[in-house]
Amino acid sequence: MIQAQDITVDIAGRRILHGVSFSARPGTLTAVIGPNGSGKSTLLKALCRDHRYGGTIRLNTQDLAGLTPAQAASLRAVLPQASNLPFPFTVREVVALGLTAGRPGVLPGTLHRLPEQALARVDLAGFGGRFYGELSGGEQQRVQLARVLAQVWIPVLDGVPRYLLLDEPVSSLDIKHQILIMDVARQFAREGGGVIAILHDLNLAAIYADQILALRDGRLQGCGAPADLLTDQLIADVFDCPMRVGMVPPAHIPFVLPQSADHVELAAAG
Amino acid sequence: MAQVLTEGRIRTARLAGDRSGLGQVTLAVLTLLLLLAMAISMTTGASGASIWTWMQGVLGLLPQGHEISLRDHAVIVNIRLPRMLLGMLIGAGLAVSGLLMQGLFRNPLADPGLVGVSAGAGLGAVGMIVLGTTALAPLTAFLGIYALQIASFVGGVITTFILYRVATRSGQTAMATMLLAGIALGALAGAATGVLVYVANDAQLRDLTFWGMGSLAGANWTKIMASGPVILAALLAAAFLGKGLNALTLGEATASHLGIPVQRLKHIVILAVAGATGASVAVSGGIGFVGIVVPHLLRLVIGPDHRYLLPASALLGASFLLLADAVSRVIVAPAELPIGIVTAAVGGPFFLWILLRKRAVFSW
Repeated sequence: MIQAQDITVDIAGRRILHGVSFSARPGTLTAVIGPNGSGKSTLLKALCRDHRYGGTIRLNTQDLAGLTPAQAASLRAVLPQASNLPFPFTVREVVALGLTAGRPGVLPGTLHRLPEQALARVDLAGFGGRFYGELSGGEQQRVQLARVLAQVWIPVLDGVPRYLLLDEPVSSLDIKHQILIMDVARQFAREGGGVIAILHDLNLAAIYADQILALRDGRLQGCGAPADLLTDQLIADVFDCPMRVGMVPPAHIPFVLPQSADHVELAAAG
Repeated sequence: MAQVLTEGRIRTARLAGDRSGLGQVTLAVLTLLLLLAMAISMTTGASGASIWTWMQGVLGLLPQGHEISLRDHAVIVNIRLPRMLLGMLIGAGLAVSGLLMQGLFRNPLADPGLVGVSAGAGLGAVGMIVLGTTALAPLTAFLGIYALQIASFVGGVITTFILYRVATRSGQTAMATMLLAGIALGALAGAATGVLVYVANDAQLRDLTFWGMGSLAGANWTKIMASGPVILAALLAAAFLGKGLNALTLGEATASHLGIPVQRLKHIVILAVAGATGASVAVSGGIGFVGIVVPHLLRLVIGPDHRYLLPASALLGASFLLLADAVSRVIVAPAELPIGIVTAAVGGPFFLWILLRKRAVFSW
């Protein structure tokens, strides 16, 4: 379990996060939503120790602050928003960087096969020999995800659950690959790992998340299952724009429909 | 077991995008090249002393009535051998320093010579030569033969540290900032060096001139004793940094997520670069472009995996400097061209070629 208790982050003298508390259980996918500048990435960076934070974060039973980089790397993998590489690595070499210190959890004899397996999982089978710099933005993002998956390949190792922290994992992907990557993330959770993902697409969050954290101005506005949390009122409060929440009947999954200014006028008139 | 391992290796080599097999072959080829360069270095020189005759003599294999002359023995043992060893140490040290710096700054154009670190180390050395007999006399007495090395080392560390602080923000190094900061630091070190030269007396000026020519001509066992341990320590430290530098290419934050203790890695890299550059500058003045040509050439062949680039750069750097030194001894024989001219004549055009080629493929 990832437990965050009263997390505050100050950057250049300005408070970006104001006492955020939540917990993310293994076996679940947590989506973090909120407008630009609401503190989503800052929260994720606190969880992976890129920012100094106040409060406590516990990773399983341990205090995150007390872990060595190698210990932390064996418990969680992090997908950053953007990665540029200054040197001409092949796709396979980039994915193999995920094996730097992490414990993927496979037998040493099969380790050299892992980059190909990870690439296949993100629909990039056969891309190992290509140069990373020659791929499209969406393909590069999937290569980075394959690297992250390779780091914690087995979601539960020796009875200890592990975590994926994903900062906008589908931001530059087409719809097919958005679904594919979210399926991969949910599969990781179904096998006992934990996933925390920042998502901009509220409908993806509604379909895939077990729990949603809604942030605004560095404060937690709400936390709960999609069907409970996603209401017209909360969405209007968090994003400060008109949207209507409906339900997909059989599965009882909410969907969010943006409203243009015309819609709002029509609704008012009607 | 051996058979299983071999099979594993063959399987690995066939995987698309895996260049580790190529790295191993390259290391073997470079080892042979170094042996060849060592042979050329030992057999090249103004005197007619033959290394083969000397070896036969040492091993007692010379026919009855033949023996090596004292003069030839002295040439081999006191001139050529230290010159070869010093050339290998400095070549490996400069090439590995360049590679480490490129990894630290995540930038293929970083080089101690280009970004002012050599100038900083030079300032330390000049300061010790000029002030060593006056203001710093107690220090000189205390440090003995290591005084020049330590002064260069301190100069190198300070410059690298300032450069890093100026050019790196939140784990990202801005290319333009780094080069400009390097130019500024180099100019500053140059100005301070100028002041020291201005106040130097005649004897010190002669020392400075000999030191600044960038040559291996003054190689002797004392210089090796003074510089060798520092460069060897830097090379040894660098041998353990391959994995960390690979992870660092993804940025400091991601390297840390991958389990690398990034701060410690950076400190070791800065100390190793300053140590190897400082020690090289102290004994041989400025020898440019080794740190940029060698890693670049190797990256083109085996890719950017530092686990192979580090040993390969050490081997090729040593060979490159030995061959450049041989050229510098032969091309205007019996006089000698300063080796810095040879490395710059090869390195300058190569550097321009990289710039033209890179502009087409990458943009940074």
